[in-house]
Amino acid sequence: MSEVLDVKPKGVGIDKATQFFAWLDDFCERFGDRVNPILVKETRQALKSRQFVVTFSLLLFAALAWTIAGSLSMMPQIYTTPSAQRMLIGYYIVLAVPMLLVVPLAAYRSLEVEIDDGTLELLSITMLSPKQIVLGKLASASLQMLLYFIALFPCVAYAYTLRGVDLPTVMLLMACLLVVGLLLTTIALFFAPLATGRTGRIATLLAVLLILLIAEYAVGGLSISMIIYGNPLSVQWVSYLVAATLLISLSIGYLLTSAAAAQLTPESENRSTRLRIASSVFSATLMGLAALAIWSLDRNSETVLVIAGLTLTMFWFVAGSLMSAESNSMTQRIRRELPSSFLARTFLTWLTPGPTTGVVFSLINVVVLGGAYRFLTSEFQRLYGVVPLGQRSYDVLQQLIVLGCSYLIGYLILVRVVMVVVRINNHPRVEIGIAAMVAVSVLGALVPYSVGMQLNDYRPYPYSLWQITNWAWTAFQANQGLLPNSTVFLITGFVGIGVLGCVLAAGRRVLPGRIATPEKVKHELARG
Amino acid sequence: MNAAIVPQSNGYHVGNDDCIELRRLHRFFGKTKAVNDVSFSVPRGHVFGYIGPNGAGKTTSMRILATLDLPSYGEAFVDGFSVINDPELVRKRLGYMPDSFGTYRDVNCLEYLDFFARAYGLVGRERTSRLDWVLGFTGTRGMAEKPIRGLSKGMKQRLCLGRALIHDPAVMILDEPAAGLDPRARIELRRMIRDLADRGKTVLISSHILTELAEMCDSVGIIEQGQLLATGSVEDIQRQQSNQRELTLRILDNSAEAAKRLETLGVVSNLILDGELVRFAFEGELRDQAALVAQLIGEGYAIAEVTSHKKSLEDVFLQVTEGLVQ
Repeated sequence: MSEVLDVKPKGVGIDKATQFFAWLDDFCERFGDRVNPILVKETRQALKSRQFVVTFSLLLFAALAWTIAGSLSMMPQIYTTPSAQRMLIGYYIVLAVPMLLVVPLAAYRSLEVEIDDGTLELLSITMLSPKQIVLGKLASASLQMLLYFIALFPCVAYAYTLRGVDLPTVMLLMACLLVVGLLLTTIALFFAPLATGRTGRIATLLAVLLILLIAEYAVGGLSISMIIYGNPLSVQWVSYLVAATLLISLSIGYLLTSAAAAQLTPESENRSTRLRIASSVFSATLMGLAALAIWSLDRNSETVLVIAGLTLTMFWFVAGSLMSAESNSMTQRIRRELPSSFLARTFLTWLTPGPTTGVVFSLINVVVLGGAYRFLTSEFQRLYGVVPLGQRSYDVLQQLIVLGCSYLIGYLILVRVVMVVVRINNHPRVEIGIAAMVAVSVLGALVPYSVGMQLNDYRPYPYSLWQITNWAWTAFQANQGLLPNSTVFLITGFVGIGVLGCVLAAGRRVLPGRIATPEKVKHELARG
Repeated sequence: MNAAIVPQSNGYHVGNDDCIELRRLHRFFGKTKAVNDVSFSVPRGHVFGYIGPNGAGKTTSMRILATLDLPSYGEAFVDGFSVINDPELVRKRLGYMPDSFGTYRDVNCLEYLDFFARAYGLVGRERTSRLDWVLGFTGTRGMAEKPIRGLSKGMKQRLCLGRALIHDPAVMILDEPAAGLDPRARIELRRMIRDLADRGKTVLISSHILTELAEMCDSVGIIEQGQLLATGSVEDIQRQQSNQRELTLRILDNSAEAAKRLETLGVVSNLILDGELVRFAFEGELRDQAALVAQLIGEGYAIAEVTSHKKSLEDVFLQVTEGLVQ
């Protein structure tokens, strides 16, 4: 009897355990079905790869070695005086190398190898979208980072118990490492499909290495300073910087993953809309952060205003020229997906692919951002009683902003015209747009200046209306307060005519129209 | 209901419509016309052999069908869906096997197939049953746990065929699948392709081994310098090109005299006398050939052996193409 009693509960226990493991297995299977297949494959691959095994082993060994060596070197004061700083610096270095260097580089190589080995082509004819491919790689890198992070977590906790560094600083340090690691991985993934030739590949690899090393150095320097000297910033500034870092990382991450996915998307599909939305999101984020800085921080928020202005100018210089150089060909499939009503077309056409809509989209963004920037500078003057961006008068500053936007818009329109000519019997990449933009802006300044020099026997001569395409001299004149408003009106007038021409050229696209979808396709799409 | 998407039972597809269709397809790379006005169609369940010298435009056309490239002009359809306008619907129905392997490091065969099954959206039992079928069909079950790195070329080809089959496509596009395989592996591949066609799958296959294509293909297309020179069944093409047969007669005792007699008849050409053997080209059908032999026997020539064969696919290929590459 006692034997029977002994056996029965054991059997029940085994059944329950078996049931639990069966449920767990089933749950994992169902979970695996729902996650990105790239993540499943990359995780399987990574866990078996030599790179991961070596890096993980080295990380553990280095952490153990530093724990022993660091602790012994601080004996016996370690028991009496705060010693966290030195230990935390060591752990930071051990963790930063894989997080900021090895994982982003592995993600870069992973996507590059897919292209080289021809597996990307096999993937592109599956049901996976390019965005899923890029996000899968990013998720796999995040998982690896998480593993490194978890492996070193006990060491960081040990360092914290040694006293000398407060918990917010430790948390800020780790969060910073994680966010920057993810951002660098996104940058690496953006660079991976950029070049196709051997020389281009070497150049992109060198660029990625350079970016990673600079980031490693910069973030390392900041983090170590923060560990040693503590946080010198006010709570307001720290809160702002945390929010800004997160928002900028998110918007850049969205922009770069969209750009990487666009590079992997076949020509027959819409590669532009998501990129345009991402560009606007990035611009709005920067402008929003500048506004937040002015309204919530102190006079030092001028720095944020300057950085935002310069970054947005550079960004739209590049993004605008790329959009103006897009291919004009649109498959029926893309046309089918265009908004069909007049109202939707009026507002959403500018997000659809093509250089005609691309240039107008860029112009709209530049005008809106320029207007917002003018408003922010006036707000800064109202709040702090000084003109931001140097010792010039308020009117001069406004003139400079108007001129900057006008020249950017004018040159983008010229790039569009140049690309129309280049595209005759050619099929250039969109990157040619950047070269065209550089050429147009350099020639726009050099040609009138050189002609003037020639006409004046190479002697100094005064600024005249013949120099209105010369952005450098015109900006210099404006900065000196010597540019009459009539010249600014003339420049904006010319640019306005150009904008009107661009909008009229795109007018046909705004007219309502509908491309019929074949019945068979409709039926299939309805079935999902 | 589309038969390609809903197979009748375990990978069988039904219907008698054209599953692959190319309409005036052009693809230019600068001034090079890789594909120049190519049109043909392949009915469901047929194996179509795509033959041509290197650089003829076979791979380019196949890549367009596989939605990996866009035509400069013209259209291509897979199972009734345009490769330009509805690539995602085409991809659901298409299994593509390129001439390169495209495999991953640090992954075993099962993981490789499992990954592609997931990438095609197969989940749960559907995925496991499909994996099981593919492993069985391609004969790779025994090496499911082996790393791909250590596989032979023949086994890698099987695995790649398995990958292309994992989502049960209605159309298979195989670019040089038999390249570099030993005779046994080639025979097995041929058997598998015929088996797929019997299951209603439409197969477009390119190869340089013409004798094999002649045996497994229902129809072939010969392409050179981007242009389709001939298309149809092997017999049709042979007939289109020429109705000539090559005859060898073994004539005992007086073969030289028989040769002279044949020349006087005016229906033979390229006559060669080799001892008892008389070889010549004969223009006509089998009935005409029988009449000629009967006439010679009637005239008292002792014909001990008659060998006759039409031009092979290789002969036709050489006749049609000029060996030009771009």
